[in-house]
Amino acid sequence: MPRGVAFGYLGPNGAGKTTLIRMLLGLTAAYGGTMTIRGLPVPKRRSEALSRVGAIVDEPRFHGHLTGRENLGVVAAARGRESFGRIQPSLERVGLAQRADERVRAYSMGMRQRLGIARCLLSDPELLILDEPMNGLDPAGILEFRHLIRSLVAEGRTVMLSSHLLDEVEKTCDYVAIVDRGEIVTQGPIDEMRGVDQPRVLIGVVDQLETAKELLEAVTGVVDVRIEEGLLQLALADFDLIPELNERLVGAGFAVRRLEPVQASLEQRFLAITSRLEDA
Amino acid sequence: MSTASVPAIESAVVARHTRSYGLAHADWLKLWKRRGLFWTIFAMTVGAEIVAYGVLAILHAANPAHHGPAGGISNLGHGMFILNLLGAVAATVVGASAGSGDLSAGVFRELVVTGRSRLALFAARVPGGLAFLLPFTAVAFAIAAVVSATANGFLPAPSVTLMVESGLWVLAEAAFYFIVSLGLASLTGSRAYTIGILLAWRLILSRILMSISFLGVFREVVPDVHFTRLVPAGVAETLREGPHVPTSLGASIAVLLIWLAVWLAVWLAIGAWRTATRDA
Repeated sequence: MPRGVAFGYLGPNGAGKTTLIRMLLGLTAAYGGTMTIRGLPVPKRRSEALSRVGAIVDEPRFHGHLTGRENLGVVAAARGRESFGRIQPSLERVGLAQRADERVRAYSMGMRQRLGIARCLLSDPELLILDEPMNGLDPAGILEFRHLIRSLVAEGRTVMLSSHLLDEVEKTCDYVAIVDRGEIVTQGPIDEMRGVDQPRVLIGVVDQLETAKELLEAVTGVVDVRIEEGLLQLALADFDLIPELNERLVGAGFAVRRLEPVQASLEQRFLAITSRLEDA
Repeated sequence: MSTASVPAIESAVVARHTRSYGLAHADWLKLWKRRGLFWTIFAMTVGAEIVAYGVLAILHAANPAHHGPAGGISNLGHGMFILNLLGAVAATVVGASAGSGDLSAGVFRELVVTGRSRLALFAARVPGGLAFLLPFTAVAFAIAAVVSATANGFLPAPSVTLMVESGLWVLAEAAFYFIVSLGLASLTGSRAYTIGILLAWRLILSRILMSISFLGVFREVVPDVHFTRLVPAGVAETLREGPHVPTSLGASIAVLLIWLAVWLAVWLAIGAWRTATRDA
């Protein structure tokens, strides 16, 4: 996993996402293989490896009868003396300083998620592992959480975001890995994973689709032209070709009614990969 | 109040709230802040002694010819009898809460991901829980001791030696049942099961075992036998007025102490093992 990025960790239900995270964090035993966190082997050097790691697995849990600040104190006691000095800055960072002395049982889901992040920050983490952190959040909460993650990445921290919300991963992450049946199937920068390395464009003309297809195939830089659902779908060498394509069509007398760059989504790629695996 | 002093006070409050402390203190805090637990233990220890000696004092004041003074050696024994029954139940409840609190709140995994040793997490529950429980027991016994020594009227007052020995006996018994309960709760992960099992053991099963005479010296494995044998001589008769407990099955005091140590070691080992191996 590259350092200093938001790393999306995707996979269908039962792919092994949470199991891997739980093994990395020492929550459950691993019976084979090797694992490293921050370059340190775990579980052999688990304590050292996790000293600069913050994690939320499923929803963050707290002692409801303690205040937010006391809950952070409990974890700071486990982390060590220097963590206590980070309690107040962490609460301020997530916007909970004013509510920190209320009991957690009175907190909303969004506040608990933010308190969970504050708890992660007690270790001044190099790496944050967040497993389905946006579950249960309303749209405003999701947006707020996304900004928080981006700000953590901007500080040079690495955030591993395991989620089934593909749209959120796409909006939040720089890198992504797709896992299935316990193995990483593919990984890379998010643009590459979406397939935007191959620019595509949809063109709609009023009639004579076949003639327009032949015209466009002759343009240098057009890699592929297909007719799908009454539209021309082109694969291009470069998006800069689009004005030229428009000029050619209009110059040849075609009435262009639609010209739209195709934004390939992570969802399409994810579904393509996972359905291919299911077929195999 | 000047406006300039407000930030200073706020920062002082924050500094007080973020003063560092250790794991044992955190475990004490989790128990101390449970209002229901606090008042339950208060009622079973301090409250029970206040009620008992209050009733004795009222009866004596209302009819001195028929009811003796609230103090004296025999009433010290009665106070200890109450602590023997209710104090041990209180210790069981505290042990069960300390052993299962993190698990039932889901916070155990949040502590494990700090990288802190699971054995350290378990070990901290012992001083943390005792620091919560023993002050109640000590205050309750202090009430018994003070009333016994000062409101003895024509009855013999307990000596300082007897009071010190009796106090240590009460504290030792509470600590013993706390540790047994802590170990069992760490094994089961359930407060309710632990309290139910230990109450059934202490109030029913151990009584049945002790009354089966053909078991002979094997009845020495029941902790109530040990504590009955170890009770200070001055209050022994009063304490033995309760449910029948064999007073001498042949084993020496040294053997009894070894048995108690074995009980503690076994339950601590079980609790530590389960804490170290369970899925968090």
